Amino acid sequence: MRNTVTPTASRARQQEALEARVALRLAGALSESAQQLPHDISERLRVARDRAVGRAAAVRRASGPVVLAQGGRSAVLGWTPPVWLRLASLMPLAVLLAGLVLIQQYHDHEQIVVAAEIDAALLTDELPPTAYGDPGFAEYLRSDPTP
Amino acid sequence: MATDKELTDFLRSVEKRAFKRTVYAVRDDDAALDIVQDAMIRLAEKYADRPAAELPLVFQRILSNATMDWFRRLRVRNAVMQNLSDFESDSEDGGDFDLLESLESAEGLLGAESAADSVSRAQILRSIEIEIGQLPTRQREAFLLRYWEELDVAETAMVMGCSEGSVKTHCSRAVHALAKALRAKGIAP
Repeated sequence: MRNTVTPTASRARQQEALEARVALRLAGALSESAQQLPHDISERLRVARDRAVGRAAAVRRASGPVVLAQGGRSAVLGWTPPVWLRLASLMPLAVLLAGLVLIQQYHDHEQIVVAAEIDAALLTDELPPTAYGDPGFAEYLRSDPTP
Repeated sequence: MATDKELTDFLRSVEKRAFKRTVYAVRDDDAALDIVQDAMIRLAEKYADRPAAELPLVFQRILSNATMDWFRRLRVRNAVMQNLSDFESDSEDGGDFDLLESLESAEGLLGAESAADSVSRAQILRSIEIEIGQLPTRQREAFLLRYWEELDVAETAMVMGCSEGSVKTHCSRAVHALAKALRAKGIAP
């Protein structure tokens, strides 16, 4: 199969190549011109560059320790805490849970003591506990004691 | 992640071109310096964790946005800036101008670099800069990104936020306009 290139396509390609050639010459001239910047502008650009690099370093520092030196080698790592530190971070939660359990137990104990005191008072009273089940006694309690 | 050295080297390699490119747009050295510094800081603060290879494209985009922000602020302050026709005019007719002829006859001053004396050389460079500055904004952006910053068509389109076809059209028109204007001044590109 023959590779046919139409004259129009050929001319377009030639035109494109010429444009690129002219453009690159002009870009070369611009580069030459850019290298001849006045000293004060070059200095201000240098200051701006230093400031930007300093800001980048500050941002890196603020985002956490990332460089670990080890045996003369440096490795850039995402910092992972050791196991013991991860377990230690669970300690406050464990203390909180233990405290809650203790408070609950103390509360239960207090309720038992109060109930026992009431029971003891009922049993040691002259009035027998069965009296509280008697409807007549209940009516007597509700009635006005004054004649 | 780009190291401090990579970031420094990158900024050193682009800062002068970035400054000139911004001057062509805003026509004010101090404003251009502010814009370039702003772009550098933005790059350092938000994109310093990117690989060094990604920095050129990101920086060009930041610089374009910073320049646009400057124009917006200027518009808000109602300062006298530049004729809006500069943005929208499309002076390129491109019809009968023969680029091939222009190139082939180039006993060009640019081509005959060694023969030109330094004064005329400086004048030629100045003329080229003036003509670049007079290009419509989009054509100038496309031309500088594509041929000066050496981005490919897709990257240029990404930075400019337009299609690849538009980039090719802008570049072609810019080259024709420049060649024609320079030839009229007796400079063969």
